[in-house]
Amino acid sequence: MTDQGLAIAWREAWRLSLPTSRRGRVLVGIRVAALLALLAIVATTPGFFTAVSLFSLLNTTSFIGCVAVGMTFITLSGNIMSFALSVTLSTSGMVFMAALPLGLPAALLIAFAYGAALTGFQGAVIGYFRANPIIVSMAALALITGGATLITQGQGIYPQGDAAAALKGRIFGVPMPLAAFILTVVVAQIVLSFTRFGRQLYMVGSNWRAALAAGLEPARVVLGAYVAAGLCTALAGILMAARYSSGDLEIGLGFDYSAISAVLVGGTAISGGEGSAIRSLIGAFIIAVCQVLLLLHGFSTQIQYLAIGLIVLFVIMLQTLADSD
Amino acid sequence: MIGGVAVRVAEPTSALGGNGPSAEGATASILGVRHLSKSFGPIAALKDVSLDIGAGEIRGICGENGAGKSTLVKILTGVYRPDQGAILIDGAPASLTTPRQAQERGLAIVAQELSLCPDLSVEDNIWLGSLRVPFLHKRPALRRRAAETLALLGASHIKLDAPVATLAMGERQLVEIARLLTRDARVLILDEPTATLTDVEIERIFAALVAVKREGRSVLYITHRLAEVYEICDQVTVLRNGELVATSPLSLLSRAALIEQMLGRPSGEMYPEETPASGAPALVVESLSLPGSVDNFAMKVCRGEILCIAGQIGSGSAEIIAALAGLVHDAKGRVTVNGRPLKLGSPARAARRGIMFVSGDRAAEGVFRRLSVLQNLVATRLREYSIFGFLRGGALRTAASRLAKRVGVDRRRLRARAEELSGGNQQKLAFGRSIERRNGGVLLMNEPTRGIDVGARAEIYRLMRSFCEEGYALVMASSDLEEIVGLGDVVITLYRGRQVGLYRRSEVNMHRIVADITHPAEAAI
Repeated sequence: MTDQGLAIAWREAWRLSLPTSRRGRVLVGIRVAALLALLAIVATTPGFFTAVSLFSLLNTTSFIGCVAVGMTFITLSGNIMSFALSVTLSTSGMVFMAALPLGLPAALLIAFAYGAALTGFQGAVIGYFRANPIIVSMAALALITGGATLITQGQGIYPQGDAAAALKGRIFGVPMPLAAFILTVVVAQIVLSFTRFGRQLYMVGSNWRAALAAGLEPARVVLGAYVAAGLCTALAGILMAARYSSGDLEIGLGFDYSAISAVLVGGTAISGGEGSAIRSLIGAFIIAVCQVLLLLHGFSTQIQYLAIGLIVLFVIMLQTLADSD
Repeated sequence: MIGGVAVRVAEPTSALGGNGPSAEGATASILGVRHLSKSFGPIAALKDVSLDIGAGEIRGICGENGAGKSTLVKILTGVYRPDQGAILIDGAPASLTTPRQAQERGLAIVAQELSLCPDLSVEDNIWLGSLRVPFLHKRPALRRRAAETLALLGASHIKLDAPVATLAMGERQLVEIARLLTRDARVLILDEPTATLTDVEIERIFAALVAVKREGRSVLYITHRLAEVYEICDQVTVLRNGELVATSPLSLLSRAALIEQMLGRPSGEMYPEETPASGAPALVVESLSLPGSVDNFAMKVCRGEILCIAGQIGSGSAEIIAALAGLVHDAKGRVTVNGRPLKLGSPARAARRGIMFVSGDRAAEGVFRRLSVLQNLVATRLREYSIFGFLRGGALRTAASRLAKRVGVDRRRLRARAEELSGGNQQKLAFGRSIERRNGGVLLMNEPTRGIDVGARAEIYRLMRSFCEEGYALVMASSDLEEIVGLGDVVITLYRGRQVGLYRRSEVNMHRIVADITHPAEAAI
């Protein structure tokens, strides 16, 4: 890759140039101020650096982070978000557990294929029929939940033997979930910045009709985005199932919301066509920091929910203001 | 402005106290506009425009695309705020900062996309959102008033209880007018109201407008159709490039003079020399039919040739271009590209055969506004510059740089977002991504200079000619007559989905084209 290519990729990943309008600058100012305030709170919170190391902090957000990277593909493609990634995560974990007797490689393959097929089907409906992505994802949520409950009779799936033990360890001292998350971000960012598919994803998300008129095949690109989302989500599902040594439908509860929060806080545009996997990593990190801070200051989980709700609302308002500029 | 033609440049009629020279039946000015200016970024959409509308006057507003008509309308209806200037209502300055305020002061627009709710009844639509309607109540008085208003417009045949969805387009427009009249609209603004109507419907609308005028209310009538201006208007105000050219009573203005006012310069200067066509047909279309808009259309365009399809909005010209680009699903017809048949319906398939589409609606389907200039330029050629799906960054950049030079976009702006560019430069990006196809191409264009200022237009025209020299065939749909006359090697005129005439360059004549696309019957006379 040439230096210039890298420079372009970097610029796409994190737009550094100041907006030209006054309003745009004010909005950037607000973002910077919010980050500085967060840093100030971190610095003055006793025990932040001792009680929770950065590593374990990120480790806890790794699962959400993987889903967030998957969600980034969907958001970038101009399809806002999916409500079905949580059950995709849970059921890929269950499929993985159920397939484990076939051996680890086969189980991995089957679980990834399952995740990709599940979201890929939604992507096809959304891409080729131009169906509303939110409604499709809600229908998928109902279908998958219903189907999975029917098949398992509401029971969790517990593995025979300990074939998944390898997924619970560490790689070079890095906990497996964190390693997988970082790998996902790196691969996703390479796909987004340096491949034809990635470039087309930005175009389709930026302007579907223009992409169509230019002779691209937007439906196919949307399908690809959903397949990518399914793969990332299945990875999180597999790792979670391995960690808890069981596959359960409840395991991914609330992940859709956490993932889209990370995507938006990271600064990926809800309207599509602008953003990156690295931004979602940062978004996930910021949310994790906020959660830890609230915890250290003795606030309950309910308050944490409220706070994250407020943050997302704040971010969306900033985005809307920037867009209407 | 290049080489201006002698036209009577109007003093603002304010000097005359609003009593226009010969506005029949006009009394004092109800609506005055003083020195109105509005810019969007570097582009001045309206420059120091002043005019007065008398009570009971029907005023035509004419001008080419981009002349400032819609900006004027949007200021009068409170959508835009002027940079400078004032609006006077009954001689007193009025501040119209929201569409609601404009409505309350009696300025009402009959929208091009009608603002009726199709599932509600005529009566409900007439009163919907009106402040006079009490909560949850249908008063007999309101029903009576609605019926009276429709009767006044000569539309008493429209049933108050019929759902609006069951009405024809023209009837819906009458309901919309009735809706505005019950809200005490004093100036009705109609923007290209007849584009989608049949002759009978047009007559009904005209009768209704005369009734409105008799009531002492005024009408601003914006249209391209000159015949309609002469039929219905008292005076006509011509805008050109955002400036007021003249306001004249129609009894004193010949049709030729009106066209000259609209164009403002001898056509030709702006346009490059034509290029000899190579003779090899690049695109042949036979019996193209699009349900609801185009019937049995045929054309042939050779390499090195510019073919213009002239027609007004709604004539089907834009639809033909969209269909050839593959954007219309139910298009039927035989299309041959470089001698081989092409199945319509897929832009990707058309693109693979070298047919590229440049839209006039740049924001909606032209450029990728949020992406960089570089990315826009190479959007269609990623396959050429990638290995196993991975992009060759350096090669892409070199290609973008070359294309930028070719279409005349500053290469230092490769990293700027497309939306930061002017309209003309954005259009160049759309050209840039469409050229250099391997199998020598056809460029399809819809209103290629819509919303682009004069200077950039000349550049775009030169660019188009240079594509011809490279062997491209160009097909464009346009409602800009000057552009058609100046640029077309072959001109096909279209009226309501049917071809009226076909002219080669030497036979192209503005008056014939105007006659063809406004009212083909007049051409026969």
